[in-house]
Amino acid sequence: MASSPVTLVDRFSAIVESSPAALAVVDNTHRASYQEIFELVGKVSHHLLESGLKKGDRVSLLVANSVEYIGIFYGIWAAGGVTVALNTQAKARDIINWVNHSGAKRLFVDQHNKELGAIAAGLGADIELIGVGEGASGNPPAAMVSWQAIIEGSASEPAINLVSSDLASIIYTSGTTGHPKGVTLSHGNLSANVASILAYLGLSGNDSILNVLPFYYSYGNSVLHTHLAVGGSLILENSLVYPHRVVEKIANQAVTGFSGVPSTFALLLGRVNLTDYDLSKLRYITQAGGPMAPALIDRLLTALPHIDLFVMYGQTEATARLTYLPPNKLKEKRGSIGIAIPDTVIQVRNKQGRIAKPQETGEICAAGENIMQGYWRDSEKTAQVLRDGRLYTGDLAHTDSDGYLYIDGRSSDMIKSGANRISPKEIEEVIQELDGILEVAVVGCPDEMLGEIIKAYVVPKKQNGLDKKQIQHHCKKNLAIYKIPRSIEFIDELPKTASGKVKKYLLQKKDGD
Amino acid sequence: MSSEAQIRNYILENYLFTDDPSALDSADSFLDQGILDSTGILEVIYFLEDEFKIKVEDTEMIPENLDSVNNIITFIEKKRP
Repeated sequence: MASSPVTLVDRFSAIVESSPAALAVVDNTHRASYQEIFELVGKVSHHLLESGLKKGDRVSLLVANSVEYIGIFYGIWAAGGVTVALNTQAKARDIINWVNHSGAKRLFVDQHNKELGAIAAGLGADIELIGVGEGASGNPPAAMVSWQAIIEGSASEPAINLVSSDLASIIYTSGTTGHPKGVTLSHGNLSANVASILAYLGLSGNDSILNVLPFYYSYGNSVLHTHLAVGGSLILENSLVYPHRVVEKIANQAVTGFSGVPSTFALLLGRVNLTDYDLSKLRYITQAGGPMAPALIDRLLTALPHIDLFVMYGQTEATARLTYLPPNKLKEKRGSIGIAIPDTVIQVRNKQGRIAKPQETGEICAAGENIMQGYWRDSEKTAQVLRDGRLYTGDLAHTDSDGYLYIDGRSSDMIKSGANRISPKEIEEVIQELDGILEVAVVGCPDEMLGEIIKAYVVPKKQNGLDKKQIQHHCKKNLAIYKIPRSIEFIDELPKTASGKVKKYLLQKKDGD
Repeated sequence: MSSEAQIRNYILENYLFTDDPSALDSADSFLDQGILDSTGILEVIYFLEDEFKIKVEDTEMIPENLDSVNNIITFIEKKRP
């Protein structure tokens, strides 16, 4: 173990030493203390080292939020590896694409993942598959390493010397064929962002959170690490489908924190009467993942007047978090995403590249220890967003005279639907595979519950006989459920600029009218 | 059309985007099979309320009532007067 907590592994190890019996995680089947998680970390680490893992090797994991996920994630770090946590809703084509692009030679995968057969076939024999959890459904790949053998095997103490600049994680934010975007985060990035978040949330070992956010996204990732860094507890609930079960858990487990995206709160407030439950232990709520309507914030505060609500903004490229609005400023700075988190500098820069005056719209730029190293194996995309020592976020905003930020829009065309950030290009690529499609453009359209829903504008070839259901069926087979267009419209041609670029804003406007 | 056929057709049409009945087993878990997400469940509830003239209470939004065609059939039979 290192002497000073330069990495999250060090912080985690320090908690194991000081509070081994403290409750770390509760999932559907286990309640695990810090000591128990530490033992699992040691076993995973031992397996990786024994199988020849070298410092800096990427290890991918396709595992739902669980005790196992945490053991594997920290086990990879403890062995000196780089985590590549993948979206568990993704289809085999994306998974194969990400694993190959990352260069990972190992994949921890839930044995119950329905795509397992297709993933194994697509990755081939060079990639070691480790089947996580109990008994696979169907026919598991023959060469899969047994999870049971790992947890019944020996353990290694974290012994690899990690420094701040070492690569810790790759987080894929999109899966377009051939060009997936993998955000690379160092151990220093992660430690810095965790420290900043802890400073403004005031988290301690007495805190516990009911977590519904997937750990493979940066928001859930930050919830996980902030709690493990201070010795707090994570109560895992992997589905929001039945919202009053979530609220029941918040009440029954007496948790102190809850984090969500706007659609989480729209769903909870829409289907559950929060005042029917004893939520007196709930101390704070965090909200990120896109702007939440002030009216929804008002409803949340009316239902839970005793809590501190932290409105936040961030990006995976900034590890997770960039700004927060102090709860005591919610009324005064209505609609604001707040100010820079500690140790991060935020500026709004206008088109000329100069710092914008108050009320002048420009692009949000950020600098700090939390800013990513770049996109994995993509110097061109990296150079587009990391310039002059700062991250250009692609989000447009202005400040007020006190320096509080207000989002005005986005300069990128990524769609934000629920907790997901979706590249329209991925969906366009899949639709374009069908015969009978001349052109397609995918846009996000406003939706009260999800923020945005996906709409595809399709230009069919003449006399093709293609119908909307065929397109959605093809998407269902090839894309995660949240990427299937909810709406499809056939049009004669796509509006384009003189240079042939699709004018997506006109399509969005068309739908908004 | 029977209640089961109505529900199956609705799920096949709107979430599996097919009219092939073999794509859905009436015992399939909507969640485990990745057929529905949280907004999909809400849409199913609106469909049930409209089609079968029942009111789904918030506390009835549980997998035992809604997570498969079979569970829904048992649920709506209980709800009907």
